[in-house]
Amino acid sequence: MRLKRFLLRYFPPGIILEYEKRDGSTHMKEINLMELTAESSPGAIADQIIRTEPLVSPARRPQLMRLLGRLCTQLEQYRTADFSLSKILRAHVLPLTNCAFNKNGDRFVTGSYDRTCKVWDTDSGAELHTLEGHSNVVYCVAFNNPFGDKVVTGSFDKTAKVWSASTGECLHTYRGHRTEIVCASFDPNGSTIATGSMDHTAMLWDVETGAALHTLAGHTAEIVTLDFNQTGRQIITGSFDNTVRVWDVRSGACVHTLKGHLGEVSAASFNFEGTTCISGSIDRTCKIWDVASGQCIGTLRGHTDEVLDVAFNPQGTKIVTGSADGTARVFSTATKACTAILVGHSSEISKVAFSPQGHKVLTASSDKTARLWDPEEAKALQVLEGHTDEIFSCAFNYSGDAIITGSKDNTCRIWRCA
Amino acid sequence: MGLLSLLRKLRKSEREARILVLGLDNSGKTTILKKLADEDITHIMPTQGFNIQSVVHDGFKLNVWDVGGQKSIRPYWRNYYDNTDVLIYVVDSADTTRLEEVNKELSELLAEEKLAGVPLLVFANKQDLMGALSAADISTGLNLEAISGRSWSIQACSAKRGDGLEAGMGWAVERVRAKDASA
Repeated sequence: MRLKRFLLRYFPPGIILEYEKRDGSTHMKEINLMELTAESSPGAIADQIIRTEPLVSPARRPQLMRLLGRLCTQLEQYRTADFSLSKILRAHVLPLTNCAFNKNGDRFVTGSYDRTCKVWDTDSGAELHTLEGHSNVVYCVAFNNPFGDKVVTGSFDKTAKVWSASTGECLHTYRGHRTEIVCASFDPNGSTIATGSMDHTAMLWDVETGAALHTLAGHTAEIVTLDFNQTGRQIITGSFDNTVRVWDVRSGACVHTLKGHLGEVSAASFNFEGTTCISGSIDRTCKIWDVASGQCIGTLRGHTDEVLDVAFNPQGTKIVTGSADGTARVFSTATKACTAILVGHSSEISKVAFSPQGHKVLTASSDKTARLWDPEEAKALQVLEGHTDEIFSCAFNYSGDAIITGSKDNTCRIWRCA
Repeated sequence: MGLLSLLRKLRKSEREARILVLGLDNSGKTTILKKLADEDITHIMPTQGFNIQSVVHDGFKLNVWDVGGQKSIRPYWRNYYDNTDVLIYVVDSADTTRLEEVNKELSELLAEEKLAGVPLLVFANKQDLMGALSAADISTGLNLEAISGRSWSIQACSAKRGDGLEAGMGWAVERVRAKDASA
């Protein structure tokens, strides 16, 4: 075995070893550096990698140090930079639903009650395409990241559609759900799409052929959230039946039913490594689950009203929860302790997200503002003001210097780092 | 209210009913909604999308959807037709010049397949204004007597003063209960 080269992954930080086997075939091995911070000593980490990783010889130490230095620099980017309003996009004629960036961050999509999805240029704010064809609300939208050449839309018209992001052409229409589709996602390989519906099922579809692969049946109430793990081999679905289910994508079999919540599940998400997942619930808690065993390994309490959204930081070391009580809370994944309470919104928080670097938290609220917080110091950093009605959705781009917010006021706003 | 609450309002559960409020722009739909929820009605702007209020009436939770009435938004009304238990159509009784437009919009609405058989309540609103037509006049003007295949009722009201709203919602709950009983 011979190391060919190092590849870098910024968020979460990691070094990927590309190596050659004796038979000449090329392989990849990921070294995740979830604990890396600006205070980390590159020398100590390099030494540890050389000690534990036979592919990396001591001669590589200087190169490794440089790469670790670059990762640390990336983690510190935009820490002190402020966001300001860059563009107001008024092309939708009815309220927006969800929005999403491609991985480059140069394009994003918005769904709307006006039955369209629009593709936008982040820098200019230009409307590149209007994806028309759904006969009811376009509720969920997603890119096939990391590729970014396709968009999936899920609609209240019971269908999902796949579109070319470059031409706006509809490539496939997926029919099979009996009621509204409310969540949709590509797997990270871009070959499979999952859709979740108010008809209590999720379905898996082949992106190329447009064929239905599996119906994930078992939930006894509406499915409102789903998430693929990074390999695309497993998917979790969260339901109004109070449970989360883990499914095997290849066979469509239910691997685990995660039971324990006393109210509807509102959001669910894998950590980057796919080893644990979290779920937020109307029962005012967030639960942490071990994916392999299906056991609940922690219950995060403290909110005095429904938990409406949950998110890991990219490293998976922290969790943020947003609640109808108007606060967000930050927890340590390892200790399950609440490390920060983010107080300031005057009404419910419906969406939460960490920045890709993990040093900022973004919250969107029905008080018409989005806010940025320092999760370490529990400090309010910025109020993104301007929307004239509640904010339904928000997202960071991958590099962490742009934010989009979608609102009931029919507009989408782009906020950029100075 | 966030997107998740919207999904929860889409669910059909027991003792809950979905009421859809439509009507031309400036007929007073949002004012009715706010008045039902006992909210301030002094600064109401034209609705660019929709509003939802949950009102408990006689043991029923009524999820009342008010959708903007401007001409540009009317094509999107059908987004909201699914699972409607009672349709409320609001008429500005004082604006006699638009009665023909009301007539046309209402007949198109009643021809919608998804709204077939859904009980119709017409609110003859703005009775507080001088020159407002009576409920009987509106009924004649819209030829409500000719409606078949659904139960209907007309109720004079003033959203501003609150008169007639309770009576109208009482009728709506009665229809929901009748439907549940026959189901």
